[in-house]
Formats: sequence, C-alpha cells, structure tokens
Amino acid sequence: MTQDEKLKLIKDILLTDDRVFVSHIEQKIAKLEETINQKKALSVKVDPIINDKLDDFIKDIPATLGPTITETLKKEIKNSQDAVVEALFPIIGKMIKRYIQHEMKLLSERINHQLNNTFSFSWFFRKAKSKATGLSESDLILQEQSNTKIEQLIIIEKGSGVVLAEYSKTKMADEDMVAGMLTAIKSFVEDAFIKEDQNLQYIEYDLYHIHLQNFSSYYIAVVVSGAYNIIYKDKLENSILSFSTKHKIADVLNNKTALTLKLKDFFKNE
Amino acid sequence: MSRPKKIVLIGHFGVGKTSLIRRFVENTFTKDYKVTIGVHISKKEIHIKGDTPLTLVIWDLEGLDDITKMRTSYLLGTNGFIYVFDLSRPVTYENLEAELEYLKTNYPNTPTKVVGNKMDLVNKAFIEENNGIFTPFVDYYVSAKLGSRVETLFTKLAEALI
Ligand SMILES: Nc1nc2c(ncn2[C@@H]2O[C@H](COP(=O)(O)OP(=O)(O)O)[C@@H](O)[C@H]2O)c(=O)[nH]1
Ligand SMILES: [Mg+2]
Repeated sequence: MTQDEKLKLIKDILLTDDRVFVSHIEQKIAKLEETINQKKALSVKVDPIINDKLDDFIKDIPATLGPTITETLKKEIKNSQDAVVEALFPIIGKMIKRYIQHEMKLLSERINHQLNNTFSFSWFFRKAKSKATGLSESDLILQEQSNTKIEQLIIIEKGSGVVLAEYSKTKMADEDMVAGMLTAIKSFVEDAFIKEDQNLQYIEYDLYHIHLQNFSSYYIAVVVSGAYNIIYKDKLENSILSFSTKHKIADVLNNKTALTLKLKDFFKNE
Repeated sequence: MSRPKKIVLIGHFGVGKTSLIRRFVENTFTKDYKVTIGVHISKKEIHIKGDTPLTLVIWDLEGLDDITKMRTSYLLGTNGFIYVFDLSRPVTYENLEAELEYLKTNYPNTPTKVVGNKMDLVNKAFIEENNGIFTPFVDYYVSAKLGSRVETLFTKLAEALI
C-alpha cells in the first residue's frame, strides 16, 4: 500500500463514520422537533380544558372534599389532643409570653419609678431589721439568702389597706404602714391592668419576697426572706388557702385578737 | 384597741398636705418642696376622749388640679378626709364648693375636715374680706409652718370617727 492508498483508506473510514453519525443525529433532532411541535399543537387545544377542569375541581372542593377533610381533622385532633396542644403551645405560649413580657416591662418601669419616688421599702425593711438584729444595713444586704423563711404575715382589708391581723417572728416593719403601702401599690398596679379580676400576686423587694394572696374582702401578705421559687410559692399558696378555709377566717375578720391567734397558731411551725 | 383609721389628705399641688402630715407626725417643717408622687403613708397613734388610743394611718396623695381625676382605688375604705387648700393661692380654692360637693356625693357619710393652710402668709383681715368664700366650708385655718391648729385638726377628725 502506498502512502496515498493508506491515507485514502483512513479517510474513507473516518468519513463514512462521520456521515453515519451526522445522519443519526439529524434523525434524532427531527424526532425531537416533531415531538415538541406536536406537544405544542396539543397543548393549545388541551390546556384550556385542563384549566377549566382545575377550576371546577377547586370550586367543588368544599362541597366534595370539605366534609371529609373537616371530619378527618376533627378526628385527628380528638385522637391526638396532646400532640395538637403540644404543637400549638409554643406558638400561643410565645405570643402570650411576649405580651406579658412587654406588659411586665412597662409595668416594672412604672413601678420602679413609683417605688423610687414614693415607696421606700428597702430603706424601710432594712432599717427595721437592722435595728431588730443589731446587724449593719450593708451586712444585711450582703447576707446570704439561702433558707426560705416567713418573716411576717399580715391580713389586710382590701381597699382601705387596714390591718386586720398581723404575725411576725421578728418584727420587720410597722405593719400598718407596710399594709398601706402594699395596698397602694396593689391598687396602682391593678389599675394599670384595666382588666377585672386581675390581682397583683407578688412583689419582690430587695431581699424580700412579698407574696400576696387574694380573697374576696381581704388579702394576705407574706413577707418571705431567702429563696422564693415556684415550688415554695405553691406550698405557701396551699397552706394559706387551707388556713383561710379551715379557720373560717371570713367569720372573724373583725376580731383582731381572734384572728391574730389563729394566724400565730397556724404559722408558728412554718 | 379599735381598728386603725384611714385618713386621706386631698387638695391641689403645693397646698401643704405633706407639710401638715409631717408637722402632725414628726413635728417638723421644711421649706423645700418635694412633690409627692403616688402615695406616701404615715402613721400616728393618738389618744382622744377618755384616753382611748387610736391609730391613724394617713395617706398622702399626690396633688391634682382636678379632684375628679383622682385615682379612686386609693380612696377605698377611707374613714376620714382632710381637704386642704392654700390661703395664699386663690387657684387652690376657686372650685372649693364643687370639689367638696364631689366628695360628699361620692363618699357620703365620710367625715371630712376642710382646712385653709398657710395661715401665716395671710392676715385676719384677709379672712374677713373673703368671709363669703371661706366661712360656709372651712373648719380650721391652719399653718403647717407654725404648727398652729394642726393637732386640733387631726384630733377633731379622729373624734368624729368613733
Ligand atoms: N409659709 C408656709 N408655707 C408652707 C406651709 N405649709 C407648706 N408650706 C410650703 O408649701 C410648699 C408645698 O408644701 P407641701 O407640703 O409639699 O404641699 P403638698 O403638695 O400639698 O404636699 C412647701 O414649700 C412648703 O414648705 C405653711 O403653713 N406656711
Ligand atoms: Mg405632697
């Protein structure tokens, strides 16, 4: 084979293959074009029909599927109430919490303003305790507040703020003045929350937690030192509740001596 | 021992409510004026007729130019009012009649003493000139600064409460 012959052979092989390949591709492209065109042609005719059907379908959902969906949902919710609550709780909880946080912030700003200007509780309690214990006021501030202790209990008439009875292990502060201040703060705060049946239940001041428990014509203020947490609050709430019912407090509201005795009796072991 | 009595002082800004209470409770007087915000509560035990001890819990409210705008929850269960105006400032007594009427309507049967304070700033002639305005309403002309008639005012009110 000469050089030329060799070259021709190679060319033939290559070119033949090329040609076959090209025609193959051409065929494929033609088929594609055809498909696309056909689809286009079809869709012009079919699309409106589908749209109509879809519209009908959507229109009919409430009638056809609605009851079924509602029924299913109802059943689902009923059968998995816990799960639903669980799912909704964080959302609602967050909303409420955010609202409360906001309100509390406003409130505490207002109260702080008021307290700074008017109700000198810290000064008041600390002075009294300092006098009673002989400790310096700054020592008292620094004193560890580890063990929870009821310092003072006051039964106070709502509105007037008049003391109906009082009991304290160590005399903390003048109960008449504390009761007046608490009642004033309570009125102020409860006015701020215009809603009815809202009662101020707790005031934190310095080292003291003042737990307020409301009854219809009176409320009980418990001055607590040390840690006051939800568990303690619960316990305290229950014991005051049972105190008030067991001892029929409502019947002796106007008898200071009797009331004081009951108070002392009930809480001497607290 | 009878139950404590709640006494509330009302009247415009700066008429001397706080000063009257301080004079009565601590027997002091200062010239500097600190506006009362919210409520301030003080207490004094007194002895009236026949040596009966009685505790007065005195509520000092912030002054207001309009009595009807007062926070009514502060007034709940009040046993006795002291209405104070300033003899040296007509603006504090120009609505005297209407304000007292408001008190009487909203707190019927609650003993009320009406006092013109700062007697030391005016003279007898002034009172006589304004006889028509003051006499029908005023129980005492007092001065927190000099302490005149302050003790009488609180004692008489206390007596009216038992
Ligand atoms: N000259 C005189 N000044 C008085 C008398 N009582 C009060 N003041 C002054 O009047 C101002 C207002 O008194 P204050 O008791 O704070 O009035 P409040 O706003 O009604 O409590 C203060 O500067 C007092 O010193 C008084 O009897 N005589
Ligand atoms: Mg004042």
